[in-house]
Amino acid sequence: MKRFIENTKRYFKYAVYSARADLKAEVAGSYLNWLWWILDPMFFMMIYIFIASVVFKTTEPYFPVFIFTGLTVWDYFNRNINASVKIVSANRAIVTKIYIPKYILVLQKSFVTFFKMLISWGLVVILMFLWKVPLTIHILYFIPILLVLYMVTFGISLILTHFGIFIEDLGNVVALGLRLLFYLSGIFYNIVTRIPKPFNKILLNCNPVAFIINSFRDTLLYGKAPSFLVLGGWFMIGLVLIAIGIHIIHKYENSYAKVI
Amino acid sequence: MKKEAAITVKDLHIAYRGLKKFSIKRSLLKGKKSNIEIFEAVKGISFEVEKGKILGFIGKNGSGKSTTLRALAGIFSPDKGSIDLHGNSVSLLSIGVGFQPKLTGRENIYLAGMLLGFSEQQIKEKEEEIISFADIGEFIYKPVKTYSSGMYSKLAFAITAVLETDIMLIDEVLSVGDATFKEKSYNKMHELISDANRTVVIVSHSLSTIRELCDEVLWLHEGNIKKIGTPDEVIPEYETFMAN
Repeated sequence: MKRFIENTKRYFKYAVYSARADLKAEVAGSYLNWLWWILDPMFFMMIYIFIASVVFKTTEPYFPVFIFTGLTVWDYFNRNINASVKIVSANRAIVTKIYIPKYILVLQKSFVTFFKMLISWGLVVILMFLWKVPLTIHILYFIPILLVLYMVTFGISLILTHFGIFIEDLGNVVALGLRLLFYLSGIFYNIVTRIPKPFNKILLNCNPVAFIINSFRDTLLYGKAPSFLVLGGWFMIGLVLIAIGIHIIHKYENSYAKVI
Repeated sequence: MKKEAAITVKDLHIAYRGLKKFSIKRSLLKGKKSNIEIFEAVKGISFEVEKGKILGFIGKNGSGKSTTLRALAGIFSPDKGSIDLHGNSVSLLSIGVGFQPKLTGRENIYLAGMLLGFSEQQIKEKEEEIISFADIGEFIYKPVKTYSSGMYSKLAFAITAVLETDIMLIDEVLSVGDATFKEKSYNKMHELISDANRTVVIVSHSLSTIRELCDEVLWLHEGNIKKIGTPDEVIPEYETFMAN
């Protein structure tokens, strides 16, 4: 714990600077590059709107905002998890030359993706405005839900970072798992109304991504408060996952350079 | 003068094990664990370096020189034994760690410097010196990917040479850039390592460099210390050994 705080203090600035450098580098190629951060989810949204409202005739209110909320959360989760499996070998040049706490790499990645997610949230706000979603005080719950999303994602990423080094085809397994999770997270449908009872409740409470997406929609679209019990539960699980992740990385990180 | 140790290594063992990675697919197909190979690169070496001294590692390929150096830099942890750096800061002098090719040279100075554990403020103070030492002119404001390989190494060398640490670890004395820069970097290296407060560990195959620079030479052979002593004692014996 003490080591974690000391290391983080020492390398936090690096993580921030290097995340900024990564984002800058993405834009440096062409000035239109940052447009892709917006265009990519926009086009996805349009595809889903077409499928859901034309093909499946959904009656979800504020449908574009509904979908965009789901996609924003999913993209963030998906990018982090996918990257974490290979993150140490991706930074091979650094890891074999210098000591750096390996979770700093995960932290750096999470800053990059978090920034992109914030842009995406900005678009959600614009869409909410365009579709005239009524605002309520419940919108304030946005912050704690975002925190839980960050913590759960960070925790899982840390643990996958460790196992990704020793299990060479973990990437394939994780990609498979993520695809399954994508359909179980209610990104383009509403889990509460579309899945029969009692499975909808079970799915909602056991799948953090589904729960978080649903909570965001509750606060932003429907003016409802999220379930504090479940939110608190995932907060605790997030903490535990981070603690486990940091612990195993501390314990084994010095052998990583030998394996990759 | 009282002797003060900067590096104390006791009974250092380092093994590479399980170099073959575990694969879910393979273990499902075969149904058994892949057997683990253990290769001991360093088999229990002990030595001490006094503060301000220069130690050279010699030995044939695969004798554990680079592994020991990396262990000193903190990249590997010892499997057995201990390394005590007595609170000194340490850096492995290596080329272009953590460069982001799409960013300019100036931005990369900050990136690489922070990776070495320096604060933004400390780098800012040294920035001018690094830029003038690297001597790549206007290119410092251009993305690193547009650099020639010589310019790339010049910048990288300048960063590690100007941002100094108490203990410097050098794997193969660097010869980068054109003749002028080579001379400049050699002089800089000389200046760096002859600083009375700086402890240096050098790995090199060039015996003339070792003879010229080092106070002490450690000869590693297949993970063990074969001989340790002054260059005049060790190098002739090493030369006759290698000739056979």
